[in-house]
Amino acid sequence: MVELNDVSVTYSSGVDALEHVSLKINDGDFAFVVGASGAGKSTLIKLLLKEIEATSGTVTVNGYQLNRLKKKKIPELRRTIGIVFQDFRLISSMTVYENIAFVLRVIDAPKKLIKKRVPYVMGLVGLQDKANSYPHELSGGEMQRVAIARALVNDPQLIIADEPTGNIDPELSYEIVDLLKTINRQGTTILMVTHEHDLVRRFGGRIISITAGQIDFDEIMEGTDI
Amino acid sequence: MKLSGVHYLIEQGIENLWKNRMMSFASFCVLLVSLLLVGTSVLAYQNIASIVGGVESQNEIIIYMIDGTDAESLNQTGNQIRHLPNIADVRFYSKEEEYLALKERMAEYDVLFDALGDDNPLVDSFRVKVQDISQMSRTISQIQELDNILKINAPYEFVSFLTQLRTILTWVMCALIGAMVIVSMVIISNTTRTSVYSRREEIHIMKYVGATDAFIRFPFFIEGMITGFFAGCGALVITWLVYDALVKILENQVTLLNIIGIGSIIHFNAVYLYAAAAYLLGGALIGALGSVFSIRRYINV
Ligand SMILES: Nc1ncnc2c1ncn2[C@@H]1O[C@H](COP(=O)(O)OP(=O)(O)O)[C@@H](O)[C@H]1O
Ligand SMILES: [Mg+2]
Repeated sequence: MVELNDVSVTYSSGVDALEHVSLKINDGDFAFVVGASGAGKSTLIKLLLKEIEATSGTVTVNGYQLNRLKKKKIPELRRTIGIVFQDFRLISSMTVYENIAFVLRVIDAPKKLIKKRVPYVMGLVGLQDKANSYPHELSGGEMQRVAIARALVNDPQLIIADEPTGNIDPELSYEIVDLLKTINRQGTTILMVTHEHDLVRRFGGRIISITAGQIDFDEIMEGTDI
Repeated sequence: MKLSGVHYLIEQGIENLWKNRMMSFASFCVLLVSLLLVGTSVLAYQNIASIVGGVESQNEIIIYMIDGTDAESLNQTGNQIRHLPNIADVRFYSKEEEYLALKERMAEYDVLFDALGDDNPLVDSFRVKVQDISQMSRTISQIQELDNILKINAPYEFVSFLTQLRTILTWVMCALIGAMVIVSMVIISNTTRTSVYSRREEIHIMKYVGATDAFIRFPFFIEGMITGFFAGCGALVITWLVYDALVKILENQVTLLNIIGIGSIIHFNAVYLYAAAAYLLGGALIGALGSVFSIRRYINV
């Protein structure tokens, strides 16, 4: 669950990136966050990961009160969140399998779990045949599916995707959103940032629009394609 | 942390070492050179200090006693000197023995001695070696308080020269070592920074998926430690070979040895345990710290 209460973020440069934002996303929800470039979408995500602090207001993520969360507890918070970036951010020297297993290794997960879980999520995103490929041998869509598998492998309560379709051909973008929808149906909360209005119109659902640091629209809309 | 976790991290450290072998080799070289510079400086300093110490210990105060002082008073004065602070050695030279020795040394001038007949022109004396020659003048003024003393001879100027030399050398050496440690730390952390930079993505991902800072640092720590350890081994072997060869050359220089004293040159056998410990620990520590230091910029996300 994600809850923002009258949150403002002012960067040290003086830019007010978010102004008096209140927002609640329940467990199991799927929400699109839309807005023009510079509206404050990435700032919102950084806030949820406690990469930055709210200048005022309170932020709660998966039961953690971020204002009160000690620096030492940040890893614990982040283990409940999966994150997908626009530019994939796969490690180029590692195979697909290694890229996914890496996440479990660095949080000190048992070997047995890694052996079971990694092939399972590779199957979920349809990449079981690419286990030994390197990122540069994959298409953009495939790379993003690896990134989604990586976000999913730790079984997080919440997956945050920051423009996951931004670097992908439009036809493949639908596949990515479809995949996220499938994951959402298994119970994972999903917050997907995008500025592709086509995509949003087609899938529908909850749409949160940010303009100049403020939420100007937060409604559930019917999709054109379900 | 589970044992499998530690195992994984050590494995990662070693793997990174190999993956970044060019950078690791560069760090190795930098560390090797700085360790060698510091190590040889320390050894050179130790030797110079030991030589100065050897020259110092040959400096004595000669105390001439008033002629005709009786044996008991001489004995008493000798004991009083022995009980003063900063005294290393006191030796009594009776005027009779000294006269005989003098005659022997100057046998070709026997005409002169014949003219003197039984008249012994010498006086009884004490020769005193002090522990710390920088405190010599204090010791002398304490000796002056004693009875039956005719005159005291002491190498004041030479002593103050040696004391100054030692002080200057100590400061120069400390400054040199300090500068070299700092310079090598900076160079190493800059060298590793390049390899850390190429792994910044990896570090970012680790931060985002909730790896602890300790977990992220550990492989870098291991990597730096291993590099530093091997640099220490290299420096040790090089120092050993070069130093032993130098000592052999020096020991063939008889005239030089006569000036500085045979025992003044330190053999590597006498210090190799300290040298090994300092090189290996110093190398591992500087390597590990330099490596960990260079990731601090990327770890604060
Ligand atoms: N680290 C930063 N320091 C100062 N200003 C920033 C920083 N990051 C973003 N901003 C500013 O905050 C505003 C919102 O940025 P961002 O959240 O990245 O927007 P979006 O992701 O919607 O494009 C922009 O005006 C941007 O220039
Ligand atoms: Mg953005």
